[in-house]
Amino acid sequence: MGPVELLHMSVFSQSFSPCGRFLAAGNNYGEIAVFSLSAALSPDATAQSQKPVLTFSAHEGPVFSLLSNDCHLLSAGSGEVSCWSWAELIKKNTKPLWTKRPNYKSSLEIPEINSMTFNSRDNSLVLAGGDNNVHILDLERGLFKSVLQGHSDYVHCVSVRGREGEILSGGEDGAVRMWDSRTGQCVHCIEVHKYESCARPQFGKWISCVTTDSDWMLCGGGPSLSLWHLRSLSPTSIFPLIGCQRQTSFYQDMILAVGDGPAVSHCLLGGEVKAQIPCSPQSLNTLQLNTNSTDYRVLTVGGSSDHIDVFTNLSYRTFSFSF
Amino acid sequence: MSLTLFNFVDAKDKFTASARHALVGKTSKPLVNVFNQFPGNEAEKKTTLDQALRGVLGDQIVEKKVNCDEYLSLIYLSIDAVTEGICSATTPFLLLGDVLDCLPLDQCDKIFSFVEENVSTWKSSSFYTAGKNYLLRMCNDLLRRLSKSQNTVFCGRIQLFLARLFPLSEKSGLNLQSQFNLENVTVFNKNEQESTFGQKHTEEKEDGMEVEEGEMGEEEAPAPCSIPIDYNLYRKFWTLQDYFRNPVQCYDKFSWMTFLKFSDETLAVFKSYKLDDMQASKRKLEELRASGGEHVYFAKFLTSEKLMDLQLSDSNFRRHILLQYLILFQYLKGQVKFKSSSCVLNDDQTTWIEETTKLVFQLLKEIPPDGDKFATMVEHILNTEENWNGWKNEGCSSFVKERTVDEKPKRPTRKRQAPEDFLGKGPDSKIFMGNDELTRLWNLNHDNMEACKSDSREFMPSLDEFFAEAIEQADPTNMVEEEYKAVRNPNYGWRALRLLSRRSPHFFQPTNQKFKSLADYLDSMVSKLAKELPKDIPSEEIKTGEEDDDDNGDNLLKDSNDSPSIQSKMVSNQQMDDIAAKLGAQWKTLAPHLEMKAAELREIETDSEDVDMQAKLLLVAWQDREGTQATVESLVAALNTAGFAQFADVLSEA
Repeated sequence: MGPVELLHMSVFSQSFSPCGRFLAAGNNYGEIAVFSLSAALSPDATAQSQKPVLTFSAHEGPVFSLLSNDCHLLSAGSGEVSCWSWAELIKKNTKPLWTKRPNYKSSLEIPEINSMTFNSRDNSLVLAGGDNNVHILDLERGLFKSVLQGHSDYVHCVSVRGREGEILSGGEDGAVRMWDSRTGQCVHCIEVHKYESCARPQFGKWISCVTTDSDWMLCGGGPSLSLWHLRSLSPTSIFPLIGCQRQTSFYQDMILAVGDGPAVSHCLLGGEVKAQIPCSPQSLNTLQLNTNSTDYRVLTVGGSSDHIDVFTNLSYRTFSFSF
Repeated sequence: MSLTLFNFVDAKDKFTASARHALVGKTSKPLVNVFNQFPGNEAEKKTTLDQALRGVLGDQIVEKKVNCDEYLSLIYLSIDAVTEGICSATTPFLLLGDVLDCLPLDQCDKIFSFVEENVSTWKSSSFYTAGKNYLLRMCNDLLRRLSKSQNTVFCGRIQLFLARLFPLSEKSGLNLQSQFNLENVTVFNKNEQESTFGQKHTEEKEDGMEVEEGEMGEEEAPAPCSIPIDYNLYRKFWTLQDYFRNPVQCYDKFSWMTFLKFSDETLAVFKSYKLDDMQASKRKLEELRASGGEHVYFAKFLTSEKLMDLQLSDSNFRRHILLQYLILFQYLKGQVKFKSSSCVLNDDQTTWIEETTKLVFQLLKEIPPDGDKFATMVEHILNTEENWNGWKNEGCSSFVKERTVDEKPKRPTRKRQAPEDFLGKGPDSKIFMGNDELTRLWNLNHDNMEACKSDSREFMPSLDEFFAEAIEQADPTNMVEEEYKAVRNPNYGWRALRLLSRRSPHFFQPTNQKFKSLADYLDSMVSKLAKELPKDIPSEEIKTGEEDDDDNGDNLLKDSNDSPSIQSKMVSNQQMDDIAAKLGAQWKTLAPHLEMKAAELREIETDSEDVDMQAKLLLVAWQDREGTQATVESLVAALNTAGFAQFADVLSEA
């Protein structure tokens, strides 16, 4: 990987291993790199420990989404989903367990898969597809169960409300749709850009991040990042962040958001921005918290750079992994 | 009186007995009596008495008196003895020193109270010079014995006593050479193996690829840690403390680079990690108030890795570190007399220090609560430090301004003017306005009205002066054209009218003539004036020179008949021609004597080829330049000096 390629690298996705000691990151060249957190956080870490322990090529196009469950790593790129075993990866064996692709209507274009999430109720994988549909893959039988149609433009992100078994999807058309996973019907549709408090016409109406906490939902993108109460389907707080947010997450009583701008924003539920912690990439695409391990409970962010910043203390950047 | 040998032992015994007697009686009279009666030299007796008193004290100490009062009464006795003059002045201090050395601390406390109470005695002239060093040594010994953290109050009392005893500029309490406490080393886990933190399985492979379960269960490991530690920051942060401990190593290039790097990282963390948790700090404030405002005191930093996160989020801790930076920078930049000459900062270092100082102040202002106030206070304190540093460098000059002795007997001269003087009524009667210029102006004439009437303020011209020009122009022989006459000038006309109104009676004579314009009116006025004014008015001033010369010349001739003086006539053309012809090509020799410039000479040369002509031109140029001074006399003088005396004779004949 020459210096020019490194300059143009973007990290789109991250996922922690089930034991919490490794981090997998996918970039725009279709590669996945595995970093060892335990080595990098140990007292005798060296500069070498900030390099990946394993790098391999996973897909033809960019790796937009990575997801881990108890023993597998799932990666999605342009049109296909691959599954890898963490145990094998740690042993540096990079053969995928399986690769599947959803049924696309047209065979001319290969729409990308932007995001994935698990629906633990019926052990299925929900895929946000570039063909304006949400695909559901049954992990037990390995077949694509259903297709949720309704969006008029490609779907950016999906999230699952664990208790109710609802799927939320946000798309380029500016709509956040809520689907019932059993029937496959669209239960609600919120057009965020139609609400004046959230709308930011200068950026557009697209929704690039949706995350939910069962009762609450955070969504943002073109419109401002906003916290919604799902029962009443109304926005409760608007966060005055400049730029479009690409990933958000609930953390204790705070909200973490990353997007345009070289900073991680910490916001309070009331709508105020508590802090903006600077980081090295100029704009950020992905934010992950390592909840699988208490020893290595770090926050990692990646974006338009070959560096992935690691925060042991949420308020300052500790060090960076690099591809 | 015969010289008898002084019997020391005998004297000592007698004095000892007398001292005990005096103690019992609580009066020093018996001791004084015995002293005076005993035969011997004063000095010998005094030293013997000193010894005696010390001996008495020694016995008392050996008896282990429970009550300190007995020691104190002996010391009182010795003070009285000094006042009476029978004992040397150092004895009370020696006794005090002995007593404090021999007693345990609780009793020392009581003795020391005695010392404190008698500060005025110690400061009196008879005791001070003799005893101050003893007192200082005594106090320092006590301080060494005491523990700063356990006997804080006693230490404080001793320090306060010293502060009251010595003048403000006493050097003994100073850190004169600005030395550092090099023993204050901050210990932290530098070595990874020494880390008491979560001993991990050492059988893990280098690249750590094995998935291990149950990795926490080792027996020797302490309770498993549950947070990730930033070792990098931890090590760099605590290494900085070593630079604060011994700033002199900053002057070494290699250490400086390390210091720079680590500081930049640490300050970047401070900058990124902003403390704005007002809720937490409000709670702390309330707790502080509730607990009665007890001060937080700690002697050394706690450097466990697990505390790092907590420390970073504590505002007091940050203030400590940032303040350390500021103190360090002040030392590095400051002029200290005792720094070695190799301790100089170069330009890069100075620039970095200035930038970082700004950053540190900014960070200080951001730390809640009351960051701004704290920062201004710190700045003020550091500025005061500069003054103290300067004072030390100058050798700790005393703060007491001494009166110079010789001023007293003289009557003090007036530094300021007596009121009469500057109000203009005194002998000089010169009024001082406070400013030299104003004084000069004011004193030209102190009465305004008189000043205005003085002759120098008479600006109105006389008729003949003003109208001289107009009269001359009115003269038809001068043939001045109408439009160029002064009377046509409206400004001139207006002034002429004003002048006429003030000075001329013609202005008020009624006239039947009707004047079409001011100029015509003025013409008639001018002609009237011309008739009136005397003939020899300055309008003929141009010709004055010649007439005067003529007059002078005639007078001269009349006065002195015998002097064959050369007449001071203007050189005539004929004369010039003659001279020119005679000069010929030698005119150049004459030229410098006529003070002709080289440029003019060149001009003459180019004007004509003929040497006679050139000579003539020279003489003409000379005449033009000299004007009325172009007399025969001066030409003759020039000719003589040039060496053409024969021509001069010709002139004189002509």
